[in-house]
Amino acid sequence: MLYRGRHHSQLFAHETEILMTSNRPHPSALELYRTMLVIRVVEERLAKSHQRGLIPGACHTYVGQEAIATGVCAHLRKEDAIFSTHRGHGHALAKGLPPRELMAELYGRQTGCSRGRGGSMHLFAPEIGMLGTSGIVGPCILQATGAGYSFKLMKTDHVGVAFFGDGAVNNGAFHEGLNMASIWKLPVLFVCENNQFATEVPFESVSGNPSISARGAAYGMPAVTLDGNDVLAVEAAAAEALIRARSGGGPTLLECKTYRTRPHSEGMGDFTYRTKEDVERWKTLCPIKRFKESLLKQNHATASQLEKIEKEVDALAEDAHQFAEASPYPSAESATQNVYAPARIGPPRDVPKPPASSRPLSFMKATLEALSEAMDADPKIFVLGEGIGVRGGNFATTSGLFAKHGPERLRDTPICERGFVGLACGAAMSGTRPVVDFMFADFVLDAAGEIINQIAKIQYMSSGRLTMPVLLRGCIGIGHAAATHHSGSYYAMYANFPGLRVVVPSNPRDAKGLLKTALTCGDPVLFLEHRELMATKGEVPEEEYYIDFGRAAVVCEGEHVTVVALALMVHKTLAAIELLAAEGISVELIDPRTVAPLDTETILRSVAKTGRLLIVDEAFAPFGVGAEIAAHIADTGFDELDAPIRRLNGKSSPTPYSAPLEAAVVPNTESIAEAIRDLCAE
Amino acid sequence: MEEGTFLEWLKKTGDFVNEGDPLFTLESDKAAQEVESTDSGILELLPDGPKPGAVIKVGAILAYLLAEGEPPQALDATPETTSLTPPVVYSQGAASVHSAKPVAVDATKATTTATTASPRARRAALATGVDLATVTPTGKSGRIRERDVLDASSKKRLPSVGWVDVPVTATRRIIAEKLERSVSQTVPVTITGRCDASAMVLFRNQLKAGDATPLPSFNDIILKIAAGVLKAHPNLTGRWAGTSIQLPDAIDIGFAVETEDGLVVPVLRDPGSLRLSEISRRSKQLIDAARNRRITSQETKDGCFTITSLGSFGIDTFTPVIQFPETAILGVGTITRVAVPLEDGSFASREQLPLSLTFDHRALDGAPAARFLQTLRRRLENPTAWI
Repeated sequence: MLYRGRHHSQLFAHETEILMTSNRPHPSALELYRTMLVIRVVEERLAKSHQRGLIPGACHTYVGQEAIATGVCAHLRKEDAIFSTHRGHGHALAKGLPPRELMAELYGRQTGCSRGRGGSMHLFAPEIGMLGTSGIVGPCILQATGAGYSFKLMKTDHVGVAFFGDGAVNNGAFHEGLNMASIWKLPVLFVCENNQFATEVPFESVSGNPSISARGAAYGMPAVTLDGNDVLAVEAAAAEALIRARSGGGPTLLECKTYRTRPHSEGMGDFTYRTKEDVERWKTLCPIKRFKESLLKQNHATASQLEKIEKEVDALAEDAHQFAEASPYPSAESATQNVYAPARIGPPRDVPKPPASSRPLSFMKATLEALSEAMDADPKIFVLGEGIGVRGGNFATTSGLFAKHGPERLRDTPICERGFVGLACGAAMSGTRPVVDFMFADFVLDAAGEIINQIAKIQYMSSGRLTMPVLLRGCIGIGHAAATHHSGSYYAMYANFPGLRVVVPSNPRDAKGLLKTALTCGDPVLFLEHRELMATKGEVPEEEYYIDFGRAAVVCEGEHVTVVALALMVHKTLAAIELLAAEGISVELIDPRTVAPLDTETILRSVAKTGRLLIVDEAFAPFGVGAEIAAHIADTGFDELDAPIRRLNGKSSPTPYSAPLEAAVVPNTESIAEAIRDLCAE
Repeated sequence: MEEGTFLEWLKKTGDFVNEGDPLFTLESDKAAQEVESTDSGILELLPDGPKPGAVIKVGAILAYLLAEGEPPQALDATPETTSLTPPVVYSQGAASVHSAKPVAVDATKATTTATTASPRARRAALATGVDLATVTPTGKSGRIRERDVLDASSKKRLPSVGWVDVPVTATRRIIAEKLERSVSQTVPVTITGRCDASAMVLFRNQLKAGDATPLPSFNDIILKIAAGVLKAHPNLTGRWAGTSIQLPDAIDIGFAVETEDGLVVPVLRDPGSLRLSEISRRSKQLIDAARNRRITSQETKDGCFTITSLGSFGIDTFTPVIQFPETAILGVGTITRVAVPLEDGSFASREQLPLSLTFDHRALDGAPAARFLQTLRRRLENPTAWI
C-alpha cells in the first residue's frame, strides 16, 4: 500500500486473539452477534414488507455491512452523537433504536422514530444520540464535526461519529469536514464504509487514488483500512479511535472495506453494474456467518446460546412488524407541525416605548453589543467565520470579543463556507448555539445545501425533538462598487424555505433587538445586514430589550399610500416622502423588519387605511418579497384596494461594478418618489 | 360638452336617413335635444348600442350609415380595420360622419371608462348606495376611485339605511351643480313687494274676451314690461367679474319652465323689442320644446335676467336662486284678491301680485334693487302704457 495513515500499523492489527486480550473495554461477543443479527433480521423483514407494499417509499438495506455499525456502536454511549446516510437502518439499530420504531417509520406510522416524516432515509432518535440520517451525501460528515465542536466547547468527552459511504469521500464535505476536525482536534470518528459502489458507480472508477485511508494523511489525521466484515477488527479500531477522541487526541478516519449484498434500494435491478458471481462471493464473506463460525470454533459461545439469540431476534423482528402494522398513521394535521421551534410564551416584545434612556450607536456597534451581551449570558454561543477571531471581523462584528472569550468561541475558519455551515448545523443539533459570520451573503451560497436541506429541515424531520439555534449573519446590498459577488440580497430565496427565519433590519435600534431575539430563539435565523447601513447611527436604548420576529414597524404614518420597504430602501423612501410632502402626498411607510415571518397584518391594516400599496425592494422582482406581499394583500385585502398594487425593484440583473451601471439597477429617492406619485394618480 | 344621456332613436334599422334628418334625442347639460344626421345612408343600429338612459361620450360610435347593398357592420368583429363605412357618431350638437378608425378607438376608450372601478370604490359604492354608472372617474387610467364615489355620495347626502337610491338625470345633476355654484359664489339678497294687478288682470281678460291667439300669460306680460324696466336698470343685467361688471348689449330674459327632468330655462331674445303676441308665441314654443326635450343649448344660453313663477301654486313670496352668472332673478307669486282700504275708509276688492327679487349684493346695493322693483311694480299696475 502506497499511502498509510500514521497509526496504520497499530490499528491494522486485528488478530482476534490479540484484541480480545489487549488492555481496553471489551464488548460482549454475544452482544456483537446479537446486534448484527438484529440488523440483518429486521432488514430482511423490511425487504419482505417492501414487497408486500407496506413501505410506500424507498428501502435502502445495510445487508452485508452489519459488522461496521455494530463494531463502532459497541463502544458508543448514549450521549455520543452519530450521523448517517440514506443507508442508516443498521446505524440506528446499533445505536439502540428499538426495531419497532424503525419498522413503524418505514411503514409511515405515528410511532416511527421520525413520526412518519422521514422513512428509510431520514431517521431521527435524538434520545439515544441518533442525530439523524440524510438523503443527501456528505452533510453527515460536517454534522459529526459540528457535534465534535459542541462536545469540545462544552468540555465533555462525548464523540461525534459520521458513517458514510465511499461515495462521500469524493464530495467536498469530506475534505472540508476532515480538515476542520483535524485543525481543531475535534472528538470525531469518521467511519467510511467502502462498499465499493457509490450507488451504482464503482468507487475505483471515480477515484484518482482509490485508497480512502490514505487521504487521512492529507489532513494530518490517523487513518486505517479495515476488513469491514470483521466485527472484531472494526470494534478494536473504533475502540482505539474513540479513546483518542475522548482524550483530546482528535479525529480518526476508518476505512471499512465491505460489500452490500442487496440492491442499492429494494426492488431495484442489481446486475447492470455488478455480477451475480461477485454478490454470491461476498455472501460467503457474510460478517455474521463468519463471526458465528469464529465464536463456535474458538469456543466463545455454544451453538445453543447462539440459537437462543437467533430465536429471540426472530421474535423481536416479528414483534416489530406486528407493532408497526398495528400502529396508527400520523394525523394529517401534524403534517405541518414542528417546522419551527415552539413559539415563545409571553407578551410580544418590541422596542421599549419610551426607553428609559438611549444613546446614538452605529448599526455595527449595536449588533456587536447584542452579540456581546448574548455571549456573556450563554456560554454555548460560539462564532465561526473568516477573520472574526483576533481581527474582530471584516465589519468589526466581533471586535473585542476574542480577547474576552478566546479562540474556541471566536473561531477563525478556513474559507470553506459549506464546511463550517454544515459544522454549525451539527453543533446546533448537539446542544450549542453557533453564529456563522459569513461576511457577504454571496459567499454563503456555497453552503445553500446545508442551509436549505439540513438546517431548515431538521426541526421538522426530527418532529421537533431537535431545535436548530443557528444564527447565519452577513451583509447584503448594493451601493459600494463591489459588483456581483459582494452585493446580493437573497432574502426572498431564504424566505421561500419553511424552517428559516429571515431578518433584514433597517436601523441600529431594530438590529440590536432583533439580533438579541435571534440569539435566544430555537430557529435558524438568516440575519442580513445591509452593507450601506453598517456605519449609520441611530438611538439605541440603554436597557436590555428584544424585538420579536414578525412585527413590522410603522416608520411613519400617512393617508394616501402605503409603502413597504426593507433595509436601505426604508431610508431612500423616507427621503422620497420628504419630497412628496411638499406636493401634498402623505405616505405611510412600513418596515417589515423580518421577511420570514412576514407581518402581513400590519401591511393590510395600513392598506385598509390608504387603499394603495407600493413595495419598494432593492432585490429582484420575480418571485420576490414584493410578489409575496402583493399576492397576500390582493387575496386578503382585495376590497381595500383603490388602485393596482405596484412594485419598485432593483433590476433583474447581476450587480455591475461601474458607478453609473450600479446606480442604474437599484431604486433611488427620485424613482421611489415617481412611483409613489404615479400610484397616487391611479 | 363631453357626454350626454342618450334618450331614444328617432329612426330604426333599415330606415334611409337623409342629411339633416333628426336621428336621436340626447339629454345634455342644459336640455334634451334632437340630434341631426350630417350624412345620408341606411341606418344600422348596433346590438350593443346605447340604451335609453345610457351616458355616451362625444365621439362614441352609436350606429352605422350603410350605402345601398353594403353588408351590415355589426356582424363584422373589427369594423374599424376592415371597413371604411362611416359610423354614426355623436359629436358636438350633431351626428356626424368621421373616418372609422380614429373614432372607433375613442369608442373603445369610452366603454372601458364606463365599466372600471377599483375594488375599494365598488365597496364604497355598495356602502353609500351610489350607482357607479353615475360616478365620474378621476383615476389616470379612467378608473373610478374611492374618492370619486365618496364625492358622489357626499353630494347625495343620503343615509344608506332605509333609503332607496334613485339615480338622478344628467339635467338634475347640472341643475344641482349650477345652483350650488350660484349659492356659493354670489351674495344673494331677496326683497319682496306687492303690486296691484287689477289692471293687468282686466287687460288679460279683455284679450281673452277678444279671442287673442295666442292668449298671453301673466308671465308674458311681466316679461315684456320687465325688459323695459331692465333697460333703465342695467346693473341688474350685468355679470360680476371681480374687477368689473360685464353688461349685455341686449336684454335677453330667461324664464323657468318646469319639465319632468327638472327646471329648464329657455331664453327669450330681446323681448323688449317684441310685440306681446310675438312674445307669447315664442314663449309657448320654447316651453313646448323644453317639455318635449327638444330644446337646444343655443336656446338656453346667454340670458341676462330670469323670471320664475310659482303663481299657479298659490305661492306668495319666495327666495328664488340667481341663475349664475346672472345678477338677479324675479320670482312671481300668485295673484290673489284682497280687500284694500281706500282713503274714505271704505274697502275695495283688488287683485294683488307678490313679487320676490333676489339680487347679488356684490353687484349692487339694496336701494337700487328696490328702485328697480318699485319701477316694475308701478308699470305692472298700469300695464297697457308699457306694452
